[in-house]
Amino acid sequence: MDLPSHVVSKLQSEFLAETQPFCFLIDENYRLIDSWGSSDWCGLNGVEADEDMRGPAPFLVGIPITTPQKLDFIETPGRAIVTMHLIPDDSQCYVVLLDASKEHAYIQSKQQTVNELRLMQARQHKLIARQRDLISELVEAKSELDHHRREAERISANKSRFIAMMSHEFRTPLASIINYAELASEEGTSSNDIQKSIETISRSAKHLTSLVEVVLDDASLDAGQVELIERDFDLASLLDDMAAMMAPMAAEKGLSFAAAVDEDVPKTIYADEVRLRQILINLLGNAVKFTVEGGVKLMATYNDGRLVVTVSDTGPGISIEDQERVFQAFERGGGRGETGAGLGLTITLRLVELMHGEVSLDSMPGEGCTVSVHVPVMAADDGPTAAVPVLPLPSEDTIAAKPLSVLICDDDEDMVNLVEHYLHRSGYGLITTSDSSEAIAKTLKFDPDIVLMDCNVPGVGGVVAAKVLREQGYAKPIVALTASKLSDEQKSAFTRFFRKPAQMQELLTEIKRLTH
Amino acid sequence: MTPVTSKVCVVGDFAVGKTSVVERFVTNQFSEKYLSTVGVKIDTKEIEFPALAVTHKLVIWDVAGSEKFGPAEMAYLRGASGYIFVADGTRPATLKAVERLQNQITEAYGLAPAVLLVNKRDLTADWDVSDERFDALTTNYGNAYRTSAKTGDDVERAIARLAELIIENDMRGK
Repeated sequence: MDLPSHVVSKLQSEFLAETQPFCFLIDENYRLIDSWGSSDWCGLNGVEADEDMRGPAPFLVGIPITTPQKLDFIETPGRAIVTMHLIPDDSQCYVVLLDASKEHAYIQSKQQTVNELRLMQARQHKLIARQRDLISELVEAKSELDHHRREAERISANKSRFIAMMSHEFRTPLASIINYAELASEEGTSSNDIQKSIETISRSAKHLTSLVEVVLDDASLDAGQVELIERDFDLASLLDDMAAMMAPMAAEKGLSFAAAVDEDVPKTIYADEVRLRQILINLLGNAVKFTVEGGVKLMATYNDGRLVVTVSDTGPGISIEDQERVFQAFERGGGRGETGAGLGLTITLRLVELMHGEVSLDSMPGEGCTVSVHVPVMAADDGPTAAVPVLPLPSEDTIAAKPLSVLICDDDEDMVNLVEHYLHRSGYGLITTSDSSEAIAKTLKFDPDIVLMDCNVPGVGGVVAAKVLREQGYAKPIVALTASKLSDEQKSAFTRFFRKPAQMQELLTEIKRLTH
Repeated sequence: MTPVTSKVCVVGDFAVGKTSVVERFVTNQFSEKYLSTVGVKIDTKEIEFPALAVTHKLVIWDVAGSEKFGPAEMAYLRGASGYIFVADGTRPATLKAVERLQNQITEAYGLAPAVLLVNKRDLTADWDVSDERFDALTTNYGNAYRTSAKTGDDVERAIARLAELIIENDMRGK
């Protein structure tokens, strides 16, 4: 059907009124040839023939005019909204601009609503994600807090248990010392009873010392203050010592004791002898203590630079649930009636870890217990270091080679008496004082061959006294003999440092070496 | 001074601040009100490069935001000499949109000079693009900026850099 001319005319006039077409013809250089229609609404009025239309109509910049195109909703710099038709005609091009502002306003309003909703949705998702993160953080923080609370409760319970236990553990030997000292000082006590009293006092004092040592050791390990002192030493001799120490203890309880050292175990190793000895004493001591019948076995093997020492016993064994607990501080195996601080295995574990090793435990109730210590150690090439006997007997190593004098500065009368006893016995002449300032005066006056100096003494203190003596020109050895812990800088004031209680034999040997 | 005129297109996801970036660059103004763009808005601004003896007139086509272009939007880009990609630093998903659009454009029209503006850096509490991510973007796009149309931070610097890249590209072409 062909539309009648008046309908076509009506449509044309509606279209023209709605879109206000502005048409212009440009050449291949975008220069204006001619134009048709009103340009007021689109800001292109006043354009002249031959003008480059890319100036007043910058949306033509870069646009190829050789192919037909339609671009909707172009907002011009003059803020008109146009639909642009490009209609090429040979080398020329008709550009038709139609007013699209009404349609643009309608779509913009819809688009605005949609975009705002999408933005709200994005913000909502972000808030939900943040909320989820916060809840996770909260749960994590609460769990951490619970863990810390349980840990604090455990520590508090341990502390209470420790105080109660230590009170008992300390009171028993202390009571023994006090009572036997009273007995020995009573009139009419026989010399035999006095001798027995002294032996009991000595035994109780040693027990007290060992208790103090383990508690202090645990505290030092806790504070990270323990450093390994590694050197070459005779491992075979250490293992022999252990066997010699433990076999009689086992025999006393009617237990067998066996020691087996694999032939690959090096005779001399580079490690901390004192700490390794402590580990072995702890393990073997526990094995003997908790085993009622059967025996205890010590085995040592060496493979790929790792020393493995295994202590097995035929004791009551440890249940799986108790196996972790026995390595915790103040936990004692064996139930009631056993003595000790409950720190032995804790200290053992920490020392082994300090040596970069591991402890493994294999046990079942009623089937004994096997504890293995694996530590990396280097086999040493040098010969073993001579073992130091525990008992200080006068010997070639300790007796003064010539008449020598020793100045002792210590405010603990018992300690002065003890050192005096051993030094006299080894042939040294003595000068004593309990004041460090007086020690300076006496040293400068009498020029002793060696000075033994406690640090925490009246006067200027042992460390300052040693420094003053050096400044005053005293060049002979000054040995610290103290219960105090000294820094490296403080230690440097002394020729040698001994921590109380010192091994008398070692002290005497060192005095002889220094005065030789 | 030699006059040079180039068409550059600003593209990116919706509501990332494309129109605000152009408004800051052209009129040095900013409006808090969000008004979505339909179609394309055209503005012009001249930048002088005394060292190159060039006055560079940029005809800026601010194209309606989208995460993927259809044929109508692709038609707007025809004849562009460079692109300003804009993402929203508080909505990392808009960086993905930029990546998609860049691939579409490169596939249709080939490589062209471009800069990336990670916008809304003034919204520090909501900022969600880590330094590591931004460094990776700098490596990918060559020229990436943390911008704020609100404060004007780095907007002019970023677009001036694009104008410079277009001149360098033209010189290489000649």
